[in-house]
Amino acid sequence: MQLIENLKLEEKVYKEKLENGMTVLIIPRENTQKKYVIWGTHYGSNESKFIVPGEKEATEVPKGVAHFLEHKMFEQENGTNSLDVLTALGVEANAYTTNDHTAYLFECTDKFYEALDELMDYVQHPYFTDENVEKEKGIIGQEIMMYDDYPEWRVYLNTLEAMYHNHPVKLDITGTIETISHINKEVLYKCYNTFYNPSNMVLVVCGDFKPDEILEEIKKRLLPKEATGEIKRIYPKEPNGVVKNYVEQKMEVSMPLFTIGIKDIPSEEKVKKHIAIEVLLNMLLGRSSKLYKKLYNEGIILAQPSLEYEFTDDYAHVLITGKATAPEKVFESLKKEVAYLKQNGLNENEFSRIKKMIYGGYVKEYNDVAETARMFLADFFKGINSFDYIDEIESVKPEYGLQVLTETFNDNNMVLSVVKK
Amino acid sequence: MKIKKQEIKSGIKLHTINTNRFKTNLVAVFLAIPITRENVTFNSVLTSVLRRGTKNMPTQEQVSKELENMYGASFDCGIDKTGDNHILKFYLESINDKFLPQTGEKMLKQSIEKLLEIVFNPLVENGKFKEEYVEQEKNNVQRRIEGKIDNKAKYAIERCIEEMYKEQPYGLYRYGYAEDLSKINASNLYKYYQELINTCKIDIFVSGKIDSDISNILEENENIKNLNPREPKYVQTATIRKINTQEKEVSESMDVTQGKLIIGMDINIEDEKQKYKVSVYNALLGGSATSKLFQEVREKASLAYSASSNFIRHKGNIIISCGIEIKNYDKTLGIIRKQLEDMKAGNFTDEELENSKKGIISAIKGIEDEQDTEITYYFGQELSGNEVSTKQYIEAIAQVSRKDVINVANSVSINTIYFLKD
Repeated sequence: MQLIENLKLEEKVYKEKLENGMTVLIIPRENTQKKYVIWGTHYGSNESKFIVPGEKEATEVPKGVAHFLEHKMFEQENGTNSLDVLTALGVEANAYTTNDHTAYLFECTDKFYEALDELMDYVQHPYFTDENVEKEKGIIGQEIMMYDDYPEWRVYLNTLEAMYHNHPVKLDITGTIETISHINKEVLYKCYNTFYNPSNMVLVVCGDFKPDEILEEIKKRLLPKEATGEIKRIYPKEPNGVVKNYVEQKMEVSMPLFTIGIKDIPSEEKVKKHIAIEVLLNMLLGRSSKLYKKLYNEGIILAQPSLEYEFTDDYAHVLITGKATAPEKVFESLKKEVAYLKQNGLNENEFSRIKKMIYGGYVKEYNDVAETARMFLADFFKGINSFDYIDEIESVKPEYGLQVLTETFNDNNMVLSVVKK
Repeated sequence: MKIKKQEIKSGIKLHTINTNRFKTNLVAVFLAIPITRENVTFNSVLTSVLRRGTKNMPTQEQVSKELENMYGASFDCGIDKTGDNHILKFYLESINDKFLPQTGEKMLKQSIEKLLEIVFNPLVENGKFKEEYVEQEKNNVQRRIEGKIDNKAKYAIERCIEEMYKEQPYGLYRYGYAEDLSKINASNLYKYYQELINTCKIDIFVSGKIDSDISNILEENENIKNLNPREPKYVQTATIRKINTQEKEVSESMDVTQGKLIIGMDINIEDEKQKYKVSVYNALLGGSATSKLFQEVREKASLAYSASSNFIRHKGNIIISCGIEIKNYDKTLGIIRKQLEDMKAGNFTDEELENSKKGIISAIKGIEDEQDTEITYYFGQELSGNEVSTKQYIEAIAQVSRKDVINVANSVSINTIYFLKD
């Protein structure tokens, strides 16, 4: 096992790549009662066209299969539902699907190994029938309708639709009621067999564990399977530039919701760029910024908008989300502030103060076993070791910040999405 | 015990929780008073005004800069109803000294002082709050009150509780009432504030790796010195008696795709022991993925994505909530009623009972792994006047029997059925 240590944080991670190609990350935490395990596959809603290893032709499947699979994995051939079995053990189990990965997890204080038996058993035993696939369409249909009522979700999806011409990131993770109607058990098995191969998966545990022991426990629960070759993922070609700069939807909300999206190009220096963008966003619209103060005092915004940078190897964008009486004023004044900073440069004191704040934020991510493990999993699929954020923050200087500002924050790549009455 | 309680002055308590589980320290100040129609909106505006600026950090920008310099110490405030009390909550979370890039910074002491400054030393001009801040925050509170409709699921629960507690303190909306905002100005809000901080119940929590004498820091703090001893009036939440009411149905229309069905139920709470029994009943009914509601409404009948129940322990209520297709109202309600009857008849297996208890016990064990949850747990005890360690709590849950649960089931009665539809 490879030991990766961060002395500042007093944290360790043990990393092992098994023969079948699966990676295991072990994050020991003494003093905690909670234990957390998360098993993920590098397979999310973006994958609907791909070449199965060993095949020549590309396979295309309906949108929403990754999420549908996640729902259906719990059902077992003997009639039990693994979510129930886990809950019955007193552990908190769940699963989720994102654009680039699907994960199965549980958190517990007792019965860890019994629960691990169940988790590793059900993820390795799909059981799909025509009947159980049809039934699931009803439940997922309700979930899709539930999300349709969330203005927060609509404003987000509309932003992506305004930014992307073709890339599947713009589609709803769940698919639509129409697309999921085309899903059947054959499609599910095909996707399962392609993406749930160990070589496409990572397992992360965090809690009071001895690394050697837990690694053995994981290994003995794995079914013999051979690593397959690379899965070729095919995405439609995404042109530069956005589809449209403004999108609006009417919904019953008291105050308009907005998201400002900035379409970006993925960078080689992922971590460094991510840190720089976080610093920039906080300088532009953070609680101590001039612009925030102005918008707040004018009664345009009530609280600090959330500031995020989402990216994989294949796409990248900034999202600024909040509520405002006049979203277009936020949008226009943000553009002005960007132009001002480009012209006048970044204040060094401010830059280092915001960096201190961001450092603190990174440290806080290590408070909770669940948060830590999820972070390592999500970062792994992006090709990142999470400790890099703590180690690289020092090297992010105002000059680099200015460079990123110039490259990324361009008016042409910005969209405004609004949900209002 | 790793939690230590000290009375700093009459009515002002310090609770320290010494723990090495976290990378952070968390400081909290809670102000508690009985909630009334007269004070609810004042409390709401006040909480917002206090975060705007202090005597030494007069603008929000300055507050933010100070906190950013403290490695992103995060300040948060909020307002809650706990039983018939309104709780004004203020938090400051900062990195433990051990994990700072430089050594020698006393972050915990600084954090305590900063939070006390925000709560007890606000910016005052000519004997009143700064007018600009008060007017802006009145505006913000108004928006927040109007924003009640934004989250339909929460809105529906809120409305059901309002219907259950008409004309009663617990039926009040915790952010107050838009029509009362015009009565508030910088001068009467400041008067209200002065009275509040000198009469309310004050609890200060400090959680983290504590290596200095916190009571000493408080006793030497000017802001604490200036506070009077008090005999705080607050509502203890130990026993709750319900008056039998007629079951009522309320429905409301709004632009929704999915209907929200909420059922508010009453239970008499005689003593703390009873709360353990109700917790287990609630877990069986709708507290988890193996519960009756989740299994019958979601898994078997495919009627809903969400179906759960929640126990409000400080008021003796269980609230059932489901998101369903609007046309399935009668069908869903029928299935829910059937579950309530099944619980009364004891139609649950011993295994289900044990599983429910295990779920609760596991959650209790996890309390100490979350800093804010642990503080909330001890504050709840402070309010109910009942001190139970997590170990005793676990034992009490383990002892709940099938008979106990059936007894609870037979004492539960539906108060209000609320439906939000299109």
